[in-house]
Amino acid sequence: MGTATGIIKALNSGIKHLAVKRFTLRYPEQKLKFVGDGYQFDPASGVAIAGLKGRHMLFHDHCTGCQLCSIACEGVAEAIAMVKVPDKWGQNAKSIMPQIDYGKCVFCGLCVDACPFYALYMSNDYELSSFTKEGLIYTPAQLQVKPQVQQDSELIIDKRGARHG
Amino acid sequence: MAEQVIPTKKMPPGLQVENVDDRIMTLNVGPQHPGSGHMRIIVKIDGDYIVDADPDPGYVHRGEEKMAESRNYITNIPHLERPVIHDSCNILYPYVLGVEDLVGIEVPERAKYVRVIAAELNRCIYIQYWLAIYGIFLGHSTMFMWPAGDRELLIDLMEKITGARVTHAYFIPGGVRNDVPANFEDVCLRQVNYFEKRIKEYADIFYDNPILKARTEDTGVLSREDAIRLGTTGSVLRASGVDYDLRIKEPYDVYDELDVHTNVLKSGDSYARSKIPWLDMLESCNIIRQALEKMPKSGSIRTKLKPNPKGREDEVYRRVESGRGSAGCHIISRGKPEPYRLKLSVSSFRNLIALPYLLKGEKLGNMPAVYWSLNYWPVEADR
Repeated sequence: MGTATGIIKALNSGIKHLAVKRFTLRYPEQKLKFVGDGYQFDPASGVAIAGLKGRHMLFHDHCTGCQLCSIACEGVAEAIAMVKVPDKWGQNAKSIMPQIDYGKCVFCGLCVDACPFYALYMSNDYELSSFTKEGLIYTPAQLQVKPQVQQDSELIIDKRGARHG
Repeated sequence: MAEQVIPTKKMPPGLQVENVDDRIMTLNVGPQHPGSGHMRIIVKIDGDYIVDADPDPGYVHRGEEKMAESRNYITNIPHLERPVIHDSCNILYPYVLGVEDLVGIEVPERAKYVRVIAAELNRCIYIQYWLAIYGIFLGHSTMFMWPAGDRELLIDLMEKITGARVTHAYFIPGGVRNDVPANFEDVCLRQVNYFEKRIKEYADIFYDNPILKARTEDTGVLSREDAIRLGTTGSVLRASGVDYDLRIKEPYDVYDELDVHTNVLKSGDSYARSKIPWLDMLESCNIIRQALEKMPKSGSIRTKLKPNPKGREDEVYRRVESGRGSAGCHIISRGKPEPYRLKLSVSSFRNLIALPYLLKGEKLGNMPAVYWSLNYWPVEADR
């Protein structure tokens, strides 16, 4: 193949792309849809359920304050600290619950695997930026809130190429 | 004119003022961040030609091996994948296989197939990132945009399986952490088929492009004998005509049940070294399709492990074929929950040994083309 033919072929390959639909996700307007409600773990079977590893969800009515999540995090990121909570729960004698510092968390999900009481899950919420370092520390009360996120954009593949819609 | 005073003080390597004739100049390239990690090459040039090159890695040393000695076998997983976050499944693979040997657990059949699929997807993700940077190193902006965009198809798949886009922490001794989501086989097949169609289009714009060929052919030629003698692995070795792939030579998990072909090119120049990973991606698509077909439709995904597993008093060495070449992990256990010593043997560092040999006699402008064709990842080499 001659040099001229090669260059024309290369240019042609690029020009063909003018007809292909844009693949980029337009982020703040469009948000990707994920499978499930987030990464969860079933201690009975010892297997997790697929989902996005985002911000944690803490179920106050299940947490016993056993500190297993905090111990699991010790060698990884040391992001979990056990703090006192004001309200009393029957199963939680010491009234302590995890507080997570997202400045340190690496979102590996080993704390979720460690919880034997179905108290700690991970949710689809990944927009955690904050103006202060303190804003990244989520207290048990903040972790209790279920995130409300509009995620509906999916990857579509058809004859004209792939796009997000 | 006063005589030039040469300081006698001992300086770090690369900074000494040397008493050489005025034709040779020492040039300090780096430690910049060419999209991967910090790395310095000290080159001596005569005009435009390189007479000597001295790679100087170590700017991103994190002490992963020492860190592993104070953490237990499970806690080690998130930080051991940090050396190559884009290929995190493959760098974790030898560690997980080694721990399984030490603890003595069996892996369910379905988990083995899921691992192979995840590892092959991750290999493609890594190679796409590497190819994007190779494109921008050579001034080919389109080749930066296309792989970076198409990589998203596979990142989306990995996100569906593992829940994370880049650092997955997915493999665990005894299997994988979670099952693939429902309807995954169809989605994976559709996206991998489209991905394969897309990467075939790279031939016209990049690999058959006469400008790229003029730039990379016959630069940095590594002969077959030198490739073996210097101990290179992976794509560098296969580009020099040595048919060596650990997926065939030492099959792990279910690679012996799959039909794997290696791609070998004979020329051993930068062009061949840049083409082998691309051919590997096409082969990976084949492997993923086969694995999806042969995978048991249901079954266990993980053998239950004790909370703080102790390895028996022994040592193991396991290696796998990663996106760059052979990645090995040597674990010495003294019967404790944490390893006594852990050694990562990575291909990046071994391929770097070839760099001074390849750069000698090249033009300075060819340095990026030769350097990045070695499939080198600074963070992995420094560990």
